[in-house]
Amino acid sequence: MSAPRRSNLLTVLMLGVLAYFLLPVVWLVVASTKSNSGLFRSFGLWFDRDFALGDNLRSVFTRDDGVFVRWLVNTFAYAGLSAVGATVLATMAGYAFAKYTFPGGRLLFNIVLGAVMIPTTALAIPTYLLFSNAGLTNTPWAIILPSIVNPFGLYLMTVYAQSAIDDSLLESARIDGAGEFRIFWQVCARILAPGMVTVLLFTLVATWNNYFLPLIMLQDTDKLPLTVGLAQWQSAATRGNGGEALYSSVITGAMVSTLPLIAMFLFLQRYWQSGLADGGVKG
Amino acid sequence: MTTTAEKASAPTWRRRQRIAAYLFVAPFFVFFVLMLLVPLFYAGYLSFFREQLIGGNAFVGLDNYVRALQDERFLRGVLRVTLFLLVQVPVMLGLALLFALVLDSGRLRFASLVRLGIFLPYAIPGVIAALMWGYLYGQDFGPFAQAGRALGLPVPEFLSSGWMLASIGNIVTWSFVGYNMIIMYAALRAIPAEIYEAARMDGAGEFRLAWSIKIPSIRPSLLLTLIFSVIGSFQLFTEPQLLKSISPVVVTGEYTPNLYAFTLAFSRSELNYAAAVSFLLGILIMIVSYVVQLSTQRRERQR
Amino acid sequence: MHAFHRRPAAALGAGAVALALMLTGCSGDSGDDSPAAAAPVSQEEIDKAMATPTTLTFWEANKLQPEIDLFQAKYPAIKVNLVDAGSGPDYYTKLRSAIKAGEGAPDVAQIEYHHMPSFILEDSLADLTPYGAAASKDLFAPFAWSQVATDNGIYGIPQDTGPLGLLYRTDIFDKAKVTPPATWADFAAAAAAVHQADAGQYITNISPSNASATLGLFWQAGARPFSYDGKETVSVKLNSPEMKQVAQYWQDLVTKDLVSTDPDFTDQWFQGLANGKYASWTSAAWGPVFLQGTAADTAGKWRAAELPQWTAGVKASGNVGGSANAVLKSSKNPIAAAKFAEFLNGDHASAVKLGTDVPLFPAAVSALSDPALTGNKNEFFGGQEVTKLFTEISPTVGTDFQWLPFMDPVFESYNQTFGKALTEKGSLTGALDAWQDEVVAYAKSQGFTVS
Repeated sequence: MSAPRRSNLLTVLMLGVLAYFLLPVVWLVVASTKSNSGLFRSFGLWFDRDFALGDNLRSVFTRDDGVFVRWLVNTFAYAGLSAVGATVLATMAGYAFAKYTFPGGRLLFNIVLGAVMIPTTALAIPTYLLFSNAGLTNTPWAIILPSIVNPFGLYLMTVYAQSAIDDSLLESARIDGAGEFRIFWQVCARILAPGMVTVLLFTLVATWNNYFLPLIMLQDTDKLPLTVGLAQWQSAATRGNGGEALYSSVITGAMVSTLPLIAMFLFLQRYWQSGLADGGVKG
Repeated sequence: MTTTAEKASAPTWRRRQRIAAYLFVAPFFVFFVLMLLVPLFYAGYLSFFREQLIGGNAFVGLDNYVRALQDERFLRGVLRVTLFLLVQVPVMLGLALLFALVLDSGRLRFASLVRLGIFLPYAIPGVIAALMWGYLYGQDFGPFAQAGRALGLPVPEFLSSGWMLASIGNIVTWSFVGYNMIIMYAALRAIPAEIYEAARMDGAGEFRLAWSIKIPSIRPSLLLTLIFSVIGSFQLFTEPQLLKSISPVVVTGEYTPNLYAFTLAFSRSELNYAAAVSFLLGILIMIVSYVVQLSTQRRERQR
Repeated sequence: MHAFHRRPAAALGAGAVALALMLTGCSGDSGDDSPAAAAPVSQEEIDKAMATPTTLTFWEANKLQPEIDLFQAKYPAIKVNLVDAGSGPDYYTKLRSAIKAGEGAPDVAQIEYHHMPSFILEDSLADLTPYGAAASKDLFAPFAWSQVATDNGIYGIPQDTGPLGLLYRTDIFDKAKVTPPATWADFAAAAAAVHQADAGQYITNISPSNASATLGLFWQAGARPFSYDGKETVSVKLNSPEMKQVAQYWQDLVTKDLVSTDPDFTDQWFQGLANGKYASWTSAAWGPVFLQGTAADTAGKWRAAELPQWTAGVKASGNVGGSANAVLKSSKNPIAAAKFAEFLNGDHASAVKLGTDVPLFPAAVSALSDPALTGNKNEFFGGQEVTKLFTEISPTVGTDFQWLPFMDPVFESYNQTFGKALTEKGSLTGALDAWQDEVVAYAKSQGFTVS
């Protein structure tokens, strides 16, 4: 197929669309260069006369004894462990649903799909109560364990394994005398990699962005992830009972906290996009 | 999958594979049961009780469910998310599909920049998205309002009761168009190029191609995004919850059913009733998703 | 058994946790093995506890490290770990979660007065009577003490209060040729003048989302909408004649578009304070220091005055905000915790610091007469002795104001009734009736007797 003609009209239109999607991000970046008073006296989408990015960054990283760094590390740890756990579980189970027939398999698969429909708040409260009885609240496990179950990830891996792994590959490996687990680890895991990256990234985003669960589960400021920590700063800024206005810190902190995820999506885009391709088309 | 011949000749293989399969799914299901089913059943159990600040706890059977079905606040919330669903989901998915088709057509310059730019909001936490849009919507200092004043144009009060649902819809659309677009785009890329050749020979234009070949080919992906969007609409929580702090009079604690359940549990000490409300919402979601699936399948058969 | 307010209360969970709380309450280091009977702790036991190496956790939204340092200098064995656990609704969600989880809760927590009854009802706070708290009574403003002490015990040490005054912009008042109004009738006339001088400016803002602030204005007018007997009976009079009179007053201003009705403590409101949209703010005593941090650009333009009065010549005020430091029942070191709360807020030097460094207006009366506070000429207010003014207002706050043991739903309901009517310029007196009905219905549904 020859390359189609580029359309200028279409390009201009889509750049307009792009502007809409980038507008809030531009605002965030511009706002993070402003001081507290600058924030309110200047036009939102252009710079103020004081360029305060350096001050803001210093304030973000040093406020409350540098707790922001702690939050950043926590977020990486919670999101990383959840994502790895979720990916391993979803890959193994998805592979089994795709490549084996076993009694109850279909039923189990449908139960998992049904679970996607459970409203999140329905679970947050009972989970909290159960965790507090088990002494798990105020520990990282209270965030990681619930995030490890990712029904959508399982679904994606099942579909991906169905299309990516040829049955004949399994047969020939079996004829060579390889055991089922060896086949999975040594032959199939590599083929499943793009799908795994997709599940990994999407669980990472879900845990990274989670607000409600850590809010109720964690009490120590030292254990918080970024979302809750920033919201705490924000509430300190907007409540009258003794808070000082730290809008510029909140905004700059928000800007900094979005960078790692954006970087990850950029670097891994080849993998997750092909992972989604196979998951999506056969869905 | 094993063939019948092998099953007959090697029953031990089959047994070994079955055991392996169970072992593969076991870890997932252990967590699935502990983290999803147990809390779910516990919530179900709680929904049959009623506990008061004074007077303690009592079994009340289906009372909480009967109350919810007559609760105007709950029903208004359901109506509101239904309206949201009927407007926002078609807009969001329509845009996502349009952008995916444009990207796939190959007629765009800077295509990968556009693709990543549209997807970018997905990687931004809801807390931060609401913070950003909250500033942008600001009536006195938001750039839209500032620009409107400077140009003498009327700018809607984004955070007023008349505009709030649309403003929330805009945030949700902004956040998830890219996500849906990427799923659709990925599906489009996976269509084998040969399929187009014949159509091109017949002189079919880009629109014809999109309508009669591309869209039908990615139907499963479209259905997937549709179901997820329907579920997401009914569960609308984060965006209104965060806008509540900016506009507390418009976004009340009963704005959406999910927010209502949250308010019941966390500020009204009515946990049991909250559990019942959540269950009813879950049942509603299941019914609607099922209807969506069924209707698309029927259309499929008619084709 | 009581349910836990706001936090989800569950049959199984709450039962187990209540049991756990009772157990920990019984096994404190103090050797006080009967939490119900308030057997006094002897001086030797107190001395021993204060000399034993102990770490206390303290949740507080203000930066009180200098005050803590004073305490630690006096009691070197005790280390206090200050945690900023946030403020507002999320803070209470968190505190209640920690209490229910049976671990992770602090020894001492800052709790606003209006939330005290709910924590007392939930049996989460330690009675400080055994540790000699009653002796501190005279150290604090009577109104503040009445917020922590009930017939059954003393559940906290008052930290700060929020007597109401009027902060106003001299430049805007001058432009409109008005002086600080002595009565609410004058205020209404000034409102018209301010708005006429500049259509973008309002004499003040009344918040549709801050029930606590609005209740302070009702408080000043003598309305006492709530009472609670500490057991099962509450009374709710949100549509009493006093309430309706105040509502009618604001109705007039709102209908004529002479006051703005923006939600407060939002970006828009901060902006309004900073750019002169509001010519005045009916602010609590913690407001002046708060304002300096938020609207730094307007330094020198502000002055403070007493609230306008309903009857000329009478001096009356209300209160908004203010908090106590309470010892949680789950604390393993209740003696040290109780003494810490007493010291932090009752010790003269510490209380004076509270009033100078952070936006707190100390509840300790001795601090309020200290020249460090009263003599402080505030540059932000053009060199006015603002704190002194508020120390004069403080005794005029009506003391018998009570709260219900469930203020969250009451405040939420305010937004939906009174707040809605403010925003939509509807009937404010009608909104009071609706608010009353909602609160009564809620109280009944929770098993309270409504008198």
